[in-house]
Amino acid sequence: MAIGTILRAIKQAVWLGWKVETNWADPIVFAIYYLVRPVAGLLIVGFIFLVGSVVTGTVDPGLFTYLFIGNSFFIYIIQIMMTMTMLIHEDRSHYEVLKHIYLAPGSLSWYIVGRALNGVMNASISLLLTLGLGTAIFQYGLGIHIPVDWLGTNWGVLSLTLLLGIICFMGMGFILCGINIMTSKVQFMLTEYVSGILYLFGGVVFLPSILPSWGQHISNALPVTYFLNMVRFSLLHQAGFDVQMNLLYLTLTMIATVLLGFVVFRIAMFKARRDGLIDKKEEY
Amino acid sequence: MRAAYARLWVRIKGSNREPEWLLAELVIPVITLSAYVFLYKMVKAPPEYAGFVIIGGTMMAFWSNVLWNMSAQFYWEKETGTLEAYLVAPISRMAILLGMALGGFVNTTLRAIAVFVAGILIFQVPMAVNEPFTALLIFFLTIGALYALGMMFASLFLLYGREAWHTANLLQEPVQFLSGTYYPTTSQVVPFMVQLLSSLIPLTFGLDGIRKVAILGQGINQVWPNVIALTIFTLILLPLAKKALDFMENLGKKEGRLTLRWQ
Repeated sequence: MAIGTILRAIKQAVWLGWKVETNWADPIVFAIYYLVRPVAGLLIVGFIFLVGSVVTGTVDPGLFTYLFIGNSFFIYIIQIMMTMTMLIHEDRSHYEVLKHIYLAPGSLSWYIVGRALNGVMNASISLLLTLGLGTAIFQYGLGIHIPVDWLGTNWGVLSLTLLLGIICFMGMGFILCGINIMTSKVQFMLTEYVSGILYLFGGVVFLPSILPSWGQHISNALPVTYFLNMVRFSLLHQAGFDVQMNLLYLTLTMIATVLLGFVVFRIAMFKARRDGLIDKKEEY
Repeated sequence: MRAAYARLWVRIKGSNREPEWLLAELVIPVITLSAYVFLYKMVKAPPEYAGFVIIGGTMMAFWSNVLWNMSAQFYWEKETGTLEAYLVAPISRMAILLGMALGGFVNTTLRAIAVFVAGILIFQVPMAVNEPFTALLIFFLTIGALYALGMMFASLFLLYGREAWHTANLLQEPVQFLSGTYYPTTSQVVPFMVQLLSSLIPLTFGLDGIRKVAILGQGINQVWPNVIALTIFTLILLPLAKKALDFMENLGKKEGRLTLRWQ
């Protein structure tokens, strides 16, 4: 397919995704909506940490920063998973437009990439708002020192990590799209299963070393663990952190996930076309 | 009562015929709870804090049920076209909601018990229930207040489409945070303003009471304020729900939005 067609398909999908996500509310209500949920999520884990720490008498700012960064950047995973899991269901069963998109000259895969990129855009807005408000609440409101020098961020490492991470999570999203196109009514639970498992084993809010040994093995196999390690390094510059090894693991797990996503989605589309699932109706 | 029973039957039948949903409703809450229990373990908090998380997670099953299977139900009904059938049938809307509430309560109780038992067994949480009847009293009062709140929210879904959908989404994490689902809001680190806001949510009083009775071994002498607060919530919310439902239905009829799909 010509590059121009691909780019047009992606651009239109991003625009459509933005409209679908935002046109139910005016911009202020929308901004509040995209701020409240992630900030509330951060406040939940932040207060669990503080309540638990106060009981034991020590508040470790290093551990707090670990969960602060982990929980904030986990927004990318949630948003990409949510967008890509819901999109097949919404476009096929709710709005009944998937068949038209499938027939259009631009490929369905690039359309999905565009919708996922819109999710990335929304996640980035949420992330910035969450980091800002989270820092204001915890550092300036509650007096917890968050040792991040925002101006000293290693932008090169952060950009590379975000790029690899986003491609990887989109690969996971394609696996979920493939499962969704072959099934029905599992879109909600799929998102929650995947994001729940990644949240538990990905070193998001607690150190993976707390997990039992089998849990640590799972953690070591997940790209999200290396993604968050690299993000933390780009912001905190911890001494002794092995950048090259984490980057290598992130790249390898990203390649494996993208390949798996590609294969699963191709097989799913083949079966969907064969079995007439592309315009399958559900409850709507 | 016949209408309520009919809706209850559909709710029980519908929710239990998809085994993958059943499995998800048992497994997903345990995964979420586990992350918060490990967070408490990381800061070396006493084991009863794991119990707080498990009770909070168990009660969240009811809150999710209220939000998605009761409040948001009118949104689904509107999208599938069955809302018109309810509106033209010679039945009370409150009877429909009562049926949904009772059916949802039965389903959710079974799942919540499984989540609770799994959580207690996996994380070896110490329980200290000295007054089981007090625990049950607070539990049922909490459920009554929550479902009354759900009935009130349901009126919003009669009129709105995606706005209401997003509102239901918005009532998840913020309510978990404010109600202290995974931590006691009475802790010294929780700011006064947060405690003040949390006192507007019935779940806060329910969670606090159940934790005190089930984990800390306290009794009615310590939790009677929770009993009174939950009773007041129910007595206020139920008539409000009826009024809100009537108001929204009339407004919807005037504006022609009761049968509007794809909003």
